Amino acid sequence: MSDEGWDVMAEHGMGRRAQHLTPVPASQAAAPDAGELLRAVARGDEAAFARLYDLLAARVYGLVQRVLRDRAQAEEVAQEALLDVWRTAARFDPAHGSATSWVFTIAHRRAVDRVRAEQAAADRLARTGAASLDTPYDAVADEVAGRLERQQVRHCLDALTELQRQAVTLAYYHGHSYPQVAQLLSAPLPTIKTRMRDGLIRLRDCLSAGVNA
Amino acid sequence: MTPDIHTLVGPYVLDAVDDIERAAFERHLRECPECRAEVDDLSQTAARLADGTWSVPPPRMRASVLAAIGQTRQLGPVTTPPRRAGGRLTRPRRWIAAAAAAVVVLGGGSAVFAVEQQRLHDERESAAAAQADAARVQAILAAPDLTIRQQPVTGGGHVRVAYSRLRAAGLIMLAADTAPAGRRVYQLWTVRSQHAVSEGALDVGQTTATRVVDGLPSAFDVGVTIEPAGGSTAPTLPMVADLKVT
Repeated sequence: MSDEGWDVMAEHGMGRRAQHLTPVPASQAAAPDAGELLRAVARGDEAAFARLYDLLAARVYGLVQRVLRDRAQAEEVAQEALLDVWRTAARFDPAHGSATSWVFTIAHRRAVDRVRAEQAAADRLARTGAASLDTPYDAVADEVAGRLERQQVRHCLDALTELQRQAVTLAYYHGHSYPQVAQLLSAPLPTIKTRMRDGLIRLRDCLSAGVNA
Repeated sequence: MTPDIHTLVGPYVLDAVDDIERAAFERHLRECPECRAEVDDLSQTAARLADGTWSVPPPRMRASVLAAIGQTRQLGPVTTPPRRAGGRLTRPRRWIAAAAAAVVVLGGGSAVFAVEQQRLHDERESAAAAQADAARVQAILAAPDLTIRQQPVTGGGHVRVAYSRLRAAGLIMLAADTAPAGRRVYQLWTVRSQHAVSEGALDVGQTTATRVVDGLPSAFDVGVTIEPAGGSTAPTLPMVADLKVT
């Protein structure tokens, strides 16, 4: 996945390649590169951070919301994650992976931390619902574009064994710990640990094969 | 390398470990370059699971985050691998609260507050109106049999159609790159049993639109034409986009 793939889809559609659901390569001309921006952010460049925000906030927010299933909380946690990106930008090391996945790793961990904190203290604050009030209507179009992109991942998830798929998705999308996953699936701990790993390996191979949904 | 701790690679990448295991595993990573490489590799894969999970955040979030960074000190680079703190929710959360408070203070004065109240009120009003529609849209998008089609529009951009037979409804989303020249507009159509039915004309200069359409799955075609301002009763050919349903 290129850093800007989603952005390009959102901005320009998929044009003549409408039937192909593989991520569209970034158009080099216009789209800013997340890695470049992050390096500028590390030097305290607030304008670069604003551009990085525009590039990634929707995905950060979407991911956090997917895990938390709560718009009000998602907003708060997404903000925490984005502030983390600002705070720790200098610690991003491109040798370990792309800037985009670094940001999502932070966001995902934040979301999972919140899930765990929730489990510990069931503090259900009154939710005003105000969070969704000013969500632009464009969100609908975004959702549809997202679904197109998601199909490849879903296709590859379907290619896993049932236990691999459950182990990976219960952890990633639901924020369960591996002992919780083991309990939910009535499987021994070592099995779950192994399935998470080989599930990810299989997913990687499927995604890199560029198989269309 | 310790084989035992290494079995945590999958759970670690998926954030399915607790804080103690995370710390232990990260210590292990510092001593095991191959493990580091595997974690890096699989983390890229895990991040792909975030594909398509995006959703437009509330617009106020942008201002809030950008205000907060002005008050947040950045950490310097490290030479050892980064150990990102987990579970330290309180401090950044306090920062956000503090930043939000600062914004209010900077805004200052009760006049600003009143304007803010009015804006909030207006937002709620228009949101209430949009919400019934939004609920329908969500119901359609959540349908298990949702089908999505997309076509380029002549002149740039695309039209997307999403429909569900179970819901007997669908959405037409137009996102053209440019508005038609002169006082002309885009108009959306469905073709049902030989007749072209107007699904609405856009305003002059308008390039994007989303329409909820009842019975869309039983239409044969979705078309987009360019018409005089206000729209026409029958489509003017050629279509700038023509998309087969079914």
